[in-house]
Amino acid sequence: MSDYKKPLPEIQPYSQGFWDGCKQHKLLIQHCNSCDANIFYPRRDCPKCWSQDLCWVESSGRATVYTYTVTLEGVEEMFVDDLPIIVAWVDLPEGIRLTTNLVDCEPEDVEIGMEVEVVFKDVTDEITLPYFRPVKS
Amino acid sequence: MSKRGLAIVGIGEVPTLRNPERTRWDILLDVCMQAVRDAGIDKNRIGAVISNNPMAQPAMQNDMSLGKIPEVMGLEGCRDIAICNAGGASTTNCLRLAEQHIESGQVDFVLIPHTTVQSDIPPQDLINFFATAPLDKQFEYPYGVTFNGSMGLITQRYMYETGATEEELAAVTVALRAWGALDPLSIFFGKPITLDDVMNSRMISSPLKAKECNFLADGGGAMVVTSWDIAREMGDKAVYKLGHGTRFMSATPFLREDVFHRKSYRESSQDALAQAGLSIQDMDLRQIYGAYPYTQCSALEGYGVCEEGQGAKLWAEGRCGPGGDLPCTTMGDATGRGHTGSGVSMAFYLDTVRQLRGEAGERQVQNCEHAILTTSGGSVMNTCTTVFGRSAK
Repeated sequence: MSDYKKPLPEIQPYSQGFWDGCKQHKLLIQHCNSCDANIFYPRRDCPKCWSQDLCWVESSGRATVYTYTVTLEGVEEMFVDDLPIIVAWVDLPEGIRLTTNLVDCEPEDVEIGMEVEVVFKDVTDEITLPYFRPVKS
Repeated sequence: MSKRGLAIVGIGEVPTLRNPERTRWDILLDVCMQAVRDAGIDKNRIGAVISNNPMAQPAMQNDMSLGKIPEVMGLEGCRDIAICNAGGASTTNCLRLAEQHIESGQVDFVLIPHTTVQSDIPPQDLINFFATAPLDKQFEYPYGVTFNGSMGLITQRYMYETGATEEELAAVTVALRAWGALDPLSIFFGKPITLDDVMNSRMISSPLKAKECNFLADGGGAMVVTSWDIAREMGDKAVYKLGHGTRFMSATPFLREDVFHRKSYRESSQDALAQAGLSIQDMDLRQIYGAYPYTQCSALEGYGVCEEGQGAKLWAEGRCGPGGDLPCTTMGDATGRGHTGSGVSMAFYLDTVRQLRGEAGERQVQNCEHAILTTSGGSVMNTCTTVFGRSAK
């Protein structure tokens, strides 16, 4: 696993909880106890009300594809072996939109509105990345 | 003694090329001297130099930030310098700061330059720059998101919501390249392309094809600006800023509710037009710096030129390109002129000046009295809309 060559997320102190959750294969969403906002990406202060009384809530990990793109070229060297890469914006029912990759599916099978679910990949000993795959009907 | 208003009275520009032998300083000195000579003023009347930040070129950025331009050029009347960085909207911020200097009465003439050479930067470094500078290093970069990919995501959704077809969007690039083919300053001068050329070009990040993605080039431009009062005494070279409006959306594309920037285009243009006392129907030319084809459509929808979702049809019907009744983006945008980093916005202002002066050659929009221009920075984080006219109110 230590031969992972692709960029790892630049984790900030206040997003550590999100990545700790991923390591336990849980998709955690930052939540504001003061104004009830769900927050993504994680921040030190709630962007709605500036409260620092923030916690983490677990998402079901189900989402719908808002949009996607299939990238065939123009990536940095370390991504070349992964081409084609399906990048998607997926909407969680918690009102959160994430950028991710769709995995376990062919580019021609992707469509806007399709139901997907989170799947975790332990890319290094320290880092687990959340991806999404189609929900098996 | 305060002086009202802002006018552009001198312009200089070099053709966009890929030629590392043409250095950043060569471009810079050429465009600055052209602009000062075009204004017809003595170099020592330049009271400030406000530079457009050259992205991904730290040595040049340092020279421009720390005062080398007035020193090298011997601008003896220069009272101060500054640099503005807001990505593609940098030039807009140079103009805002220049206006403040001029209105304060401290300075009569401000020189605003830009220079960029990307042909000596390794392609992998440029991909990295555009994938990391305007995108999120924690939540986008690990997924192989590129700048083209980011715009591909928005374009896919635009097509889904509006029903615009790949052919209609390809027509945008054909029209932009048609403008570029008529422009001696474009790297694509004399090189028009067909709908088939776009449709058959390699898929990069679906639905964006190679011809729809930006071609990174070298280039530069400069302008000399002054107050309305001084400009009026300088004859018909002056182009007057009549109104300005601006809106910010978000740094990161996926956090944007206004995903096609329509609301932002609408509100910024309404503010600019209200200040100018004009309506969108009074505009003879629409110049849209969005760098990707969907922006050329959604901006027209936001401006109120057409209904939401109908922008691509206007381009597909040939109404926005050469010979059309709604000429748009005669500058060619990044796909029709070459992407010179933060300098694309500079070239947009310069081309607008040429059109309003009647100096745009084969691309000249007939009876061009008023133009509306929108620039954006980063990943279209904002829309900065300005109305210019051939005369002041």
